[in-house]
Amino acid sequence: MDFLPQLIVDALLLGGIYTLMVIGLALSFGVTRVINFAHGEGVMLGAYGAYTVFVLSGIDPLVAMPFLMVAGCLLGMGLFRISIARVLKEPHVNQILLTFGIGLVLQNAALIAWKADERSVVPPYAYSSFELGEVIVPGGRLIGFGVALTLVLILFVWLKRTEFGRATRALAEQREAAVLMGINVSQMYALAFGLSVSLGVATGVIMSFLGSISPFMGFHILVKGFAIIVLGGLGSIVGAVIGAFLLAFAETAVSYYVPNGTGWAEAVAFATLFLVLVLRPRGIIGQAVAD
Amino acid sequence: MTRHAHITIGLGLLSAALLIASTFWDAPQINNWLFRISMLIMLATSWNLMANAGLVSLGHSAFWGVGSYTAILAANALSGSVFTTVAVSLVVGAAMGALLALVTGSLKGIFFAICTLALSEGLRISALMVPEVTGGAVGLFLKQELRPSQHALYLFGALAAVASVGVAILISCSKLQFASRAMRDNEAAAQMLGIAPRRQRLIIVAISGAMASAAGAINAWYGGYLDPEVAFTLHNTILAQIAPILGGIHTLAGPVIGSVAIIALSEATRIWFGSMEGISQLTFGLVLIVCILFLPKGIEGLIRGRDGRPKPEPTPALPVSSMKEAKP
Repeated sequence: MDFLPQLIVDALLLGGIYTLMVIGLALSFGVTRVINFAHGEGVMLGAYGAYTVFVLSGIDPLVAMPFLMVAGCLLGMGLFRISIARVLKEPHVNQILLTFGIGLVLQNAALIAWKADERSVVPPYAYSSFELGEVIVPGGRLIGFGVALTLVLILFVWLKRTEFGRATRALAEQREAAVLMGINVSQMYALAFGLSVSLGVATGVIMSFLGSISPFMGFHILVKGFAIIVLGGLGSIVGAVIGAFLLAFAETAVSYYVPNGTGWAEAVAFATLFLVLVLRPRGIIGQAVAD
Repeated sequence: MTRHAHITIGLGLLSAALLIASTFWDAPQINNWLFRISMLIMLATSWNLMANAGLVSLGHSAFWGVGSYTAILAANALSGSVFTTVAVSLVVGAAMGALLALVTGSLKGIFFAICTLALSEGLRISALMVPEVTGGAVGLFLKQELRPSQHALYLFGALAAVASVGVAILISCSKLQFASRAMRDNEAAAQMLGIAPRRQRLIIVAISGAMASAAGAINAWYGGYLDPEVAFTLHNTILAQIAPILGGIHTLAGPVIGSVAIIALSEATRIWFGSMEGISQLTFGLVLIVCILFLPKGIEGLIRGRDGRPKPEPTPALPVSSMKEAKP
């Protein structure tokens, strides 16, 4: 039997979700130059937010998503102002360890609040699927893919068309010049960071109905996210999209064609990350590596 | 300055002697604490060596894990003693460090950090996927008949911790220290001053890797059991960085003070909150945040600051580094 059509569909659907997962990471790094090691925890909290809303009131995760995203954005902006803004000019080690510490706190707070059990949200569409010729298309993943792509497109339009978006891009490209043009840096930084958190939250909401969620999911998401943005080129949002689909294809291919592949697929991200960093640290279309 | 130095040296020697002497004392609980402190001192000192050279490691559990597996596999296969297997782990850890330094070339900052993170996670999954060697998720036991007495291990651990700090002191007196500092501040300038960053970096990462690997090896002898989750646990990576940060990064005493404080803290949370999952890690996260934001020089800096003594001149600084130091 030929796996190829199924492989392509699976990889595309996965790639869409990966794109949403990393685009926030790429955005906040591009603007603030701080890598957010707590990004995975934003995704995790989004998933638990959707779970809690669903369990308490039965509201569909997708309906709750806009509200959770706004909450995530506000929380992110607050977090940025009280902590990360203070280390913007400090050595990398402080930025890395600070966001790492924030991630650790969020992860374990979630562990205490929701316990370590794996949970999932099961709206009607979660396990639906339909056949398209020989290919099976899982309904939940297709919906997740659609939502992810919509959000990514909205982000691109926002970056291209609005005043805020232009300011964001200006900061990412030429900080000094942007400051001279009168852009309010600290406000823009907080906004970019908040947006990045809310994109992470949206990813979590989608993940909540695609599989099981646990307080520890953030770390794996983070490392995968790193693999993707490093592959695409640190600081490039378009690169992140390309990287997301590349990693999705590589992982899916490994799990289809390699014996015992589903286990090894997990290692694809790490291998990719390591190889790209060593062979071409600027990634596919990234900027030169200045430390 | 001299009196202060004498006091510091005296305190250091005294605590080293007390640590070693304590292993002859039969108090299992205290022995266990001191053993864990010793292992953490090794791990933290090793992390701090890399941090001194501007290399932030987020994958110290990689060295720890490889050291653990090396020790247990070597012991089971060759019926080796603690001494020989830890020696093998030292060599393997150094080789792994050298390899890491070679392949990461001149990567610094977040790039190096992410690389080490990927290394340790990749190794964890690899260990899970090759059960023929590592026993996979089922795990690996040290042959029972090989196990030495607990007290021998306590003593060995204490000696190894003292030796690690000794190595760090030796490095701090050598040219490597200046090279490290210069690399941390400005690699290009360091290169112009005739320091070969890659070679220095190779040496530092190899020593650091060997130290963390040996700690993992000794701990594996103590625990007697390994599986990929235990060997490559993120917990060790977190401990390795949090102890120097809390104690005082880029100092000699910092990792030691931090290790004692961290083990005390984790025991305290265990006693107060019982086995409630997540509490100790939550505390570690808070410690990390508070230290970075409010206590950048750690406990060591706090002690020095309280003395009201002017801060000791941080090495006859290179021009570039002194400019960086002047930054608030």
